[in-house]
Amino acid sequence: MAKRTEILSQILKGEKCFDPYLFCALHGAAMTVLGVENCAVLTHGPQGCAYLVDSAFAWQEADWIETETLCTKLCEDEIVHGGEELLARTILEAKELNIQALFVLTACGPEVVGDDIVAVCQDLQSRIPFKLIPIECAGYKGSQYDGIDIALDTILRKLSRNSRKKIPRSVCLIAPQANANPTWVGDLAWVKQTLSQMGIQVVATLTYKTALSDFDNISKAEASLLLSHDAGKKAADYLSSQLGVEQICQRMPLPIGMSNTERWVLELGKRFDVQGLAEKLVAEGERMVADTLRRKAWGVSGESLDLRLLYRMPVAIIADATIGIPLVRFIFEDLEMTPELICLRSSQPHAMETLETEVEALGLNPKIVYNTDVYEVRRSLDEIKPETVFGSNVERHAIEGLGIPLIFEVVNPMRQFRLVNRGYFGYGGILNLLELIENDFNDKWRSKERRYKARW
Amino acid sequence: MRQIAMYGKGGIGKSTIASNLSMALKEMGLRVMQIGCDPKRDSSRALAGGRLIPTVLETFREELRIGKDKYAISLKDIVFEAPSGIYCVESGGPEPGIGCAGRGVLTALQILSDLKAFETYGIDVAIYDVLGDVVCGGFAMPIRHGYAQEIYLICSGGFMSIYAANNIAKAIQRLARRGDTGLSGIICNSNGDERLERKVLPVFAQSLGTKFIELIPRSPVIQACEVEGKTVVEYSPNAEEAKIFRELAQKVMENNSSAIPTPVEELSDLEAMYREHLPR
Repeated sequence: MAKRTEILSQILKGEKCFDPYLFCALHGAAMTVLGVENCAVLTHGPQGCAYLVDSAFAWQEADWIETETLCTKLCEDEIVHGGEELLARTILEAKELNIQALFVLTACGPEVVGDDIVAVCQDLQSRIPFKLIPIECAGYKGSQYDGIDIALDTILRKLSRNSRKKIPRSVCLIAPQANANPTWVGDLAWVKQTLSQMGIQVVATLTYKTALSDFDNISKAEASLLLSHDAGKKAADYLSSQLGVEQICQRMPLPIGMSNTERWVLELGKRFDVQGLAEKLVAEGERMVADTLRRKAWGVSGESLDLRLLYRMPVAIIADATIGIPLVRFIFEDLEMTPELICLRSSQPHAMETLETEVEALGLNPKIVYNTDVYEVRRSLDEIKPETVFGSNVERHAIEGLGIPLIFEVVNPMRQFRLVNRGYFGYGGILNLLELIENDFNDKWRSKERRYKARW
Repeated sequence: MRQIAMYGKGGIGKSTIASNLSMALKEMGLRVMQIGCDPKRDSSRALAGGRLIPTVLETFREELRIGKDKYAISLKDIVFEAPSGIYCVESGGPEPGIGCAGRGVLTALQILSDLKAFETYGIDVAIYDVLGDVVCGGFAMPIRHGYAQEIYLICSGGFMSIYAANNIAKAIQRLARRGDTGLSGIICNSNGDERLERKVLPVFAQSLGTKFIELIPRSPVIQACEVEGKTVVEYSPNAEEAKIFRELAQKVMENNSSAIPTPVEELSDLEAMYREHLPR
């Protein structure tokens, strides 16, 4: 309460602005439904809101020649009189599309004026050859993570069926897209590969290149594996309470870094009774990391990866919870740096509990900020004054003038252009992170200011 | 040009007062336009001989349907000259339960402004008859955008109508900071208990920092005229009630005060003020 009062008084004094990291709920919902194959998305809103859908498009590696995105392009007339008629007309015009389902997403305007998209879809369903799935995800309902939860909840309630028959050693993967690694598909690929090596079948992924029929089978999964600390927990809870799909690997950080990966893989092995395989995977992975570093850490250009320079350096972690929480142990144990500030972009209760348990177990006492915005990050950086930041390109600018010499860009948005998916999960992920750290460490000598001085 | 708005609790008699006021102002030789800001579109019924005129938003929708915009609307299609010479406009709005009536009212007012309706007809006084209550930001749009410059609160001696007027005063207080808008007075549309009304309403007006302008008596003449779709000034020009409306018009035109109201903050204070004037 005191904090709220303090924030309000700062706003009134003009001392605080909110500069959010995240998009709104519509973006999260779009990010989710675009992961379902052979479907189209119709945004019921003004045309600017459809831009959010377009930005979610690439996040799911969707393809313009396969996936249609439509928009009702609401104008003043529809805000005054309601846009149900226009929505109905647009759906009828889309009926020629060769798709299995049309996801209808709402922006803020139509929900504020009371458009009932569920009723419109129900009324039209008999005249449309594909499934109509309305999702009420107005931007004001929260962040993109809330949008993911809303979309998953709606889709599961509409499409999943309860099956008593379980597929032995099977899982469904939840919310891989709620991950600020700009090439999160690399993380998902590692998870799928690891599961496959352990003989565990993936029944469905919610969502990435998911077939609509996967939702029919979802209750046949023995367990669910949540791949995000930012979103998807509600879907996991729904699956366990309504469809008897057990949640596994709960209350532990995702597999980033040596210890986290070991713990996560061994937990999977224990649950599916393949401990031997799990131990073998861990041993092989650790050996691969050690061998690679021994052979390649001395680069061809003569630059070496010298982690001793980072030893006990005070660090700030500014990230989403999915990457940020596991980074704490990776940074502290593997890199031997000291996290002194942790700012997370969300505040899911289970994620907060996981982080606080981790921090306590490691004997750390960092300042923690949940649901952070850029203003709060800069203020906290100024207060804590770490020597290094693990963050994004936003923090590269936010640290200007604060005397913080190093920034490692690990989460979205980042300057690095990637075509190949690079995961942070698992043993390959450790090498990817070390590569990033080394490149950004060298990059510090290439500041704009230094180049300018060198030239003139 | 004077821009006058009538606000008050739903069913309190805003349209009746607005129409009779328009008629009385017309008799004074002024060019008057009455603008109904309510999807119910019945503000100008008494001026238009008991019929409902087409609305601005309806006409706008028709133009949009054939791919045109508001500039394709002719003022003749949305401004109707009543037999008395008063210009009548109805904003219109959405069906109940959908859309945004507040946004609709603003759209209609914007269209009138863009089409230069006031300049075209040489209007001296525009009277806005605003829907029921300030229930959301949208209903406050006529104030926020500076259309409603002189605001009159219509209420009776009933406690809930005073309570509603006080709430509207809160909205005016918030919005008046932006510009020329202000509260110009309280007009009582009597519920029959004139003794109480003549005591309590001047005190209430004083506490808001405004004037008590006039009391319109509860009268079968007014009700009969309403059924016939006529104003009292027109239908029964020699009646005592017509004289009162003429006096009201005179007072409104002479009233140049417009203040940022100071509403009663606590319900209990309003109750205490009301209770003081109830018969023991």
